[in-house]
Amino acid sequence: MYLFSNATIYLGLALAVFSLLIITLGISTKNQKMVNSGKGGMLALLICASMAMLSLFYLLGTSQFQYEYVTDYTSSELPLIYKLTALWAGNAGSLLLWTFFLTLYAVMIAFSRKMKGNPMIPYISAILMANAVFFFIILAFVAKPFVLLDTIPAEGKGLNPMLQNPGMIIHPVTLYLGYVGLAVPFAFAMAALILKNADDFWIKMTRRWTIVAWLFLSLGNIFGGQWAYVELGWGGYWAWDPVENASFMPWLTATAFLHSVMIQERKNMLKVWNISLIIVSYALTLFGTFLVRSGVLTSVHAFSNSNLGLYFLIFMAIAVIGGLYVLMSRYNLLKRSAGEFQSLVSKESSFLVNNLLLVGAAFAVFWGTIFPLVSEAVRGTKVTVGLPFFNKVEAPILLSMMFVMAVCPMLAWQKSTVKNLRKNFLIPAILAVIAMALMIALGMHKAWAVIGYGIISLLLVTHFLEFYRGVKARRKMTKERPLVALYRLMIRNRRRYGGYLVHLGIAFIAMGIIGSQNYDVETMKTVPLGGSIELGDYRLNYERLDQKKEGINDIVYADVTVFKNGEKLGTYQPEKVFYGNWDQPSSEVAIISSVKEDLYIVLSAWEDDGKATFVVKINPMMNWLWIGSFMIVIGALFAIWNGKYGNVTPRYTGVRKEVA
Amino acid sequence: MKKNTLVIIGGFIIAGAIVFLLMAATPGSSGVELTLDKLLATQDQHKDDFVTVEGLLIEDSIKWDPDKIELKFDVKDNDGNLMHVIYNGTKPDNFVEGVITILEGSPTKKDTFVAENVKTRCPSKYEGQDIKNYDPETHKDKLNQPPKEQ
Repeated sequence: MYLFSNATIYLGLALAVFSLLIITLGISTKNQKMVNSGKGGMLALLICASMAMLSLFYLLGTSQFQYEYVTDYTSSELPLIYKLTALWAGNAGSLLLWTFFLTLYAVMIAFSRKMKGNPMIPYISAILMANAVFFFIILAFVAKPFVLLDTIPAEGKGLNPMLQNPGMIIHPVTLYLGYVGLAVPFAFAMAALILKNADDFWIKMTRRWTIVAWLFLSLGNIFGGQWAYVELGWGGYWAWDPVENASFMPWLTATAFLHSVMIQERKNMLKVWNISLIIVSYALTLFGTFLVRSGVLTSVHAFSNSNLGLYFLIFMAIAVIGGLYVLMSRYNLLKRSAGEFQSLVSKESSFLVNNLLLVGAAFAVFWGTIFPLVSEAVRGTKVTVGLPFFNKVEAPILLSMMFVMAVCPMLAWQKSTVKNLRKNFLIPAILAVIAMALMIALGMHKAWAVIGYGIISLLLVTHFLEFYRGVKARRKMTKERPLVALYRLMIRNRRRYGGYLVHLGIAFIAMGIIGSQNYDVETMKTVPLGGSIELGDYRLNYERLDQKKEGINDIVYADVTVFKNGEKLGTYQPEKVFYGNWDQPSSEVAIISSVKEDLYIVLSAWEDDGKATFVVKINPMMNWLWIGSFMIVIGALFAIWNGKYGNVTPRYTGVRKEVA
Repeated sequence: MKKNTLVIIGGFIIAGAIVFLLMAATPGSSGVELTLDKLLATQDQHKDDFVTVEGLLIEDSIKWDPDKIELKFDVKDNDGNLMHVIYNGTKPDNFVEGVITILEGSPTKKDTFVAENVKTRCPSKYEGQDIKNYDPETHKDKLNQPPKEQ
């Protein structure tokens, strides 16, 4: 087994190098045979990576403690699912997962039906193979997944209890799928440029891949936030920690790309900008990995500090310089045939504003993240900018973003006249103002919250009108029933309505964020047995403190009966779990969730006489975050789903080369 | 004027606004990150600053006052520099000997840090302890039979 699993890695490295070389050679000598054998190499590479994954799964699943990785991250009493998911608990395993996804994507593209006979394929394959070579070098020499120990330990060290949560099963997978996914648009863009293929065929093909990567990146961030909320016991979901920022930045730039690419499609503008966005998004995923794995910044996310980060930094430098070189050398080609704006107020210009805001937001995050490093280099002291900085800067930017999102559907392409502006905006604007007035009348006095919710109501109204008008126009022609009309309207314009669904999801998430950031209440109190804590409409009676045993873990729990406005909601048990093979206990919070708010109860400490200290929080509108996330998934899937209508993949019309 | 130029000017205004926002927000919400020995040496200069400092927790020094919800403890660095910390909050989960604590707050009194936030980082980097090193006594004091309901 040892030989086999290591062989998969080294053979993988050899195959990746082989495929890269043979495809490059095939391109330069225009030899189709060589390219084909390179493609065969890629297939074999995928098999290698899968075998490596399977053997690590097998070793983890059967607790083969003679392997260092198995010993480090699992123990024999761990449930099987966590034994298996320990694959991405450490550096080596998560890089293996990354590599596997990369080879999977590469094969999916090289052998895709839509790309058949496309001369871009060899280029894309070569670029992705260059990535694969890098990862296999790392796996073979730096972070080796299959290392044998000198002595076989009787028991493993166990998986960190914080990672034993359903959120952690899926969060890293989705995040890596997103990270890797952004390598694909990069490869597409580079291939198109090298081929001097200035038409936007590649963009139509790339967009789908970008949406896939974007969706996974969103999911990764959301699952991470949700995990933090239920598992870490601090009642928050996002802390602007460098590690979180690392995955937020590419998300922002990828979002910007998805929008600006539409202007390129319509007006043939912003080509340089779009390609830059792709390069930046891709570079940011590598930069993020560098930040996360190198330990240069103070972060609560503790990954092994290793020289791994350095390798990523070098690789990123190569990729960025290479990407920029290709971009510059094709600059003239891109400059040609650009369209022009016809009006200041149009959909195009709103897209441009949206792009500036998104990239600005990404830059602000970047600035705040690396500021300690910069200031240390310049002035010698590490100046940190914390939570308040990010909240202060990102809130207005993202709120303006929401505003653009709200008005954009109402603007016309090309040019909006005053007349149609009035026609489109009068009702939504009035409704939004009424909503804001209502909020103030009902006792909301925080300016940011009122403005935020005002913008969100505007967004909801304009998006509703979009659907309403679409259905109305369709019914006029077809006389269908409203729901049928809505359904047919949507499946015939998947991209557009999928996009709107995503917008609505973002709006719901924003509602949750604004609510939970502005109106959360927290109390910390030590109460004797039988005592009670009051917070808002809630009264919590502390009834009992007891302990139980589950497997090798000891659990201390408190029975807390919760009343809301005098009405009994039930008895809940916040717990503290002491793990048999882990030094630190971990809090299991009790969450009582409703559409309006979450009641969040943490059992923090207790004394010998039965007194216990609780942290109780009310987090308003938290559920909207999860509802919104769900809508994003639905919307994105809806947009990329292969529909029957009007989604014919364009035929390649660019430069012909001999190999494909 | 060409519309493109106008749009570009508009773009610059937005970009400028964002840069301005950044500049405006940076000084007000920034703090300094210091090592423990540097902080102790230059404590007076940083009285009013928002300081981030890392230290290793000394478990024996933890004093927890449940009624006031006040946590007092000491942190040290590898060279033996020591600092007292006062924190009005509850103990983080992994508050054990040698854990890296990330403290945010200000050093108001001599050798004393008033923390607004206490975060911890597991020194073992998400990696477990050897089971044979696990001492069943470790959690005993925390598990000593909480009283049953009367």
